[in-house]
Amino acid sequence: MFGWEFPPAQAGGLATATLGLVKGLLRSDVAVTLVVPFPMDAPTVPGLRLLSTAGEFRRARRGGASLWSAADDQLRVWRVPAPLHAYGGAAGGAAPDQVSVHYQPGSKTGVLADRSVTDVIPAANRGADVYGVNLMADVERFADVAALIAEEEPHDVIDTHDWITFGAGISAAAASGRPLVAHIHATEMDRSGEWINGAIAVREREGMHAAARVISTSSVLARRVTQVYDVLPDRIDIVPLGIDHREEPWSASRATNPFGTAPVVLFLGRVTHQKGPERFLEVARRVADFVPRAHFVVAGTGDLLPHIIERTVELGLAEQVHFTGALRGAEVKHAFGMADVCVMPSVSEPFGLVALESLRAGTPCIIPRDAGVAEVLRNAFKVESWDVEEMTDKIVAIIRYPELLAELRDRATAELLEERFGLELPARRTRAVYERVVRESAAPARGHAAHYN
Amino acid sequence: MTDVCMYMQVHQPYRLRRYRVFDIGTGAPYWDDATNHGVLRRVADRCYVPTNAILAEQIRRSDGAFRVAMSCSGVLLEQLETGAPDVIDSFRDLVATGGVELLGETYYHSVTSLSNLDEFTTQVRAHTAMVERLFGVTPRVFRNTELLYHDGLAGQIAGMGFRGVLVEGADHILHGRTPNTVYAAVGDSGLRLLPRNYRLSDDVAFRFSQRSWNEWPLTADRYASWLAGVGAGSAHIFIDYETFGEHQWAETGIFDFIRHLPNECLYRGIRFVHPSQLAARDPTDTLGVPWATSWADTERDASAWLGNQLQQAAFNRLNRLYEPICATGDGVFLDSWRRLSTSDHLYYMSTKRLADAEVHSYFNPYANPYDAFVAYMNVLQDLEQRVDAVGAAAAARGRVVELVSAERAPTQPVTAAPMAAAAMAATEQPLVWPRKAKTQHATSGGAKGGDAKGRSADARSADTRSADGRGAEGRSARRRPAKRPSEA
Repeated sequence: MFGWEFPPAQAGGLATATLGLVKGLLRSDVAVTLVVPFPMDAPTVPGLRLLSTAGEFRRARRGGASLWSAADDQLRVWRVPAPLHAYGGAAGGAAPDQVSVHYQPGSKTGVLADRSVTDVIPAANRGADVYGVNLMADVERFADVAALIAEEEPHDVIDTHDWITFGAGISAAAASGRPLVAHIHATEMDRSGEWINGAIAVREREGMHAAARVISTSSVLARRVTQVYDVLPDRIDIVPLGIDHREEPWSASRATNPFGTAPVVLFLGRVTHQKGPERFLEVARRVADFVPRAHFVVAGTGDLLPHIIERTVELGLAEQVHFTGALRGAEVKHAFGMADVCVMPSVSEPFGLVALESLRAGTPCIIPRDAGVAEVLRNAFKVESWDVEEMTDKIVAIIRYPELLAELRDRATAELLEERFGLELPARRTRAVYERVVRESAAPARGHAAHYN
Repeated sequence: MTDVCMYMQVHQPYRLRRYRVFDIGTGAPYWDDATNHGVLRRVADRCYVPTNAILAEQIRRSDGAFRVAMSCSGVLLEQLETGAPDVIDSFRDLVATGGVELLGETYYHSVTSLSNLDEFTTQVRAHTAMVERLFGVTPRVFRNTELLYHDGLAGQIAGMGFRGVLVEGADHILHGRTPNTVYAAVGDSGLRLLPRNYRLSDDVAFRFSQRSWNEWPLTADRYASWLAGVGAGSAHIFIDYETFGEHQWAETGIFDFIRHLPNECLYRGIRFVHPSQLAARDPTDTLGVPWATSWADTERDASAWLGNQLQQAAFNRLNRLYEPICATGDGVFLDSWRRLSTSDHLYYMSTKRLADAEVHSYFNPYANPYDAFVAYMNVLQDLEQRVDAVGAAAAARGRVVELVSAERAPTQPVTAAPMAAAAMAATEQPLVWPRKAKTQHATSGGAKGGDAKGRSADARSADTRSADGRGAEGRSARRRPAKRPSEA
């Protein structure tokens, strides 16, 4: 499996989804090899060791990490030091001018011992000072390494997540001849609205057409993929995401509200166009008219943050709106815990894992009607995400009527314990897709599965 | 020889607009006239008019041997009168055959029987008056909203002149006894109870088009044989009128079914009877209904309307508004309050089944119960503010609240207690609006002396009723259940 940053450092997003899927798959007896690009400036994760250029690859230790309880040889993490940053920001930091992958001597499948990837990377890339800025080159480099890994690692299926790893998946499939599955979590249209990056869109199309099957997290995303990239609906499987039921429920500890008894409305997500932070401010302005003592928290960072801060002042909300910056780990739980309601005024939400995490923390969530998660969640207000007045109406009602808050919280927390929101069901369904592509690749007489070697 | 008593309920509420917090205080209308009219027209065309025609035809062809009972809620008749008068004529034709007995109910199809017996009585009398005006008949048998009933209502219902009442033949009150007979109500009201045979009723109302049912497709002759199989009792088949054409679409064959059923039954020697005929018979036993029982949901109690805290909060808020509104004497306010007392509003807030397409939420305008709650509370907020703005209301409420809080028993309005307990409270003080002694009214009446004359007829008669001896007797009878006469 080719993924992104792992393990995740924040709420929602691709990394969290990948983590959930990996956990679920491990529990469903699927052996997973996860290859991730890793920005060198990322914080150290306990239990894992970083790969450095001079050092040798270390297999990820189970150690004190409670992330998974699989046996040592089930999950393997390769760390490829390419400064591939998830959402386009500059990676910075000292980066290697080459990528090398080394095997630890004595490992299970080790023919690669001394071979370094510099042999594979084209000369033009070597030494070029483009780290973090030229994302495409990093993607290419990742793809090259992927091919190498694919030749050596035993595997049955190759799974990739979103455009940034599709290239790696394609080259790995070419190298090993194994079937390819493309997981799509968001398209460029979702992220960027009208001003899409053509190069990224091309890679999305290539990746999904190269794959034997496409797994989408929601029906709305599947429809978009069909419309925009001409992927036939019968090649798409819909597997919504889940959360880990075995984790201790977050709502067990309601955080103390730093504003006393004042109601708190939360926006948690990247401060970027896709997530609708401007709409959140419009909602805040109107809610403040009805409930002057309400406070609003913007938890996240992003390219629109300066603009949002200015707009806050323009709207006269400087004292009610609070910015926390990017939150990590326990801070996320804390943010949910102190809020009365969480709002997702997203322009486009292919799934919306933040909603599930909000409900896990016992905070009712207002979600867009066309969000992916709205297809599976029942106990939440579903609004047209452009309808600022509707969102205001619901927030004011939640603040005014404690029985509404209590009922929503109780019902949503109970609903979240249903099987479809766990990790097992998505993993089982994903596994079924894997088995299907393996079966179909072994019997190409059907004719409809393309082979891309 | 089996007797069969068929009864159909006809009702459509006034639904609320998407009333938002921004609408409060702006004078925006509460009611979604467009949707309500659209629904009414559609139901009339698909259900009322064709089924009325079939029933009328069958009644005439059998020379009255086939006969049924119906009741139309006041709000439905009101909407038909203004929006679809041709349907009123269709109902008149049906009643004119002489084969349809019309029953009494609350005008607004409300659950006020659980909170405010004076208002309940007012609404029933208003309904009777409307039925008399439109159809020229006086109802003699009663059915409460969704067959809600408990022992505490017996005296009140009998006191209004009804001989019998339809109740749900729930297992938890029958305790193994048969529903196919007439029972006596607890106490000395002389009221007769007719329990619904829910198995046979739901066979038609719900299972008729379910292919997974092992009896699908149900034909008239097979159903008639089941009715005949009841034997020497009376089968009480009480269903929603919208079964014919809406809940069961025409394509399911429901119209052919009802067209052929009378003959199939008569052929088997089944006799059709009206509820008042049954109410005249001797009861086989006394049927105690200690807490509110209804035909709604599998629980068959009041939890469909008061089962969760949203519903309880909304209900309590509505009830708190009653006195202030009566004090304003404004008929429009009171009418708004009464339309808001229609049970459907609370039903839309039920969280029991959120994703299923249920019969009772068939014309539910809300995507989820939370939206229903928010709209309803916004409307109540607006109504409260308008009532407040009428200055006298504020002063009067102050007096009433003072008196009430001084005298009220420790128990409070409906809380999130287990449903049986909360519904048990229906027979005891907390849910009854504390119109206590006559002195209270004399005092509050005196405080706003001049207003007494300006009050609407309904509010005035309600007060008068509470002021005279008979009313007081009725009140004490309902407030203190018969088994504790020592406190009376």
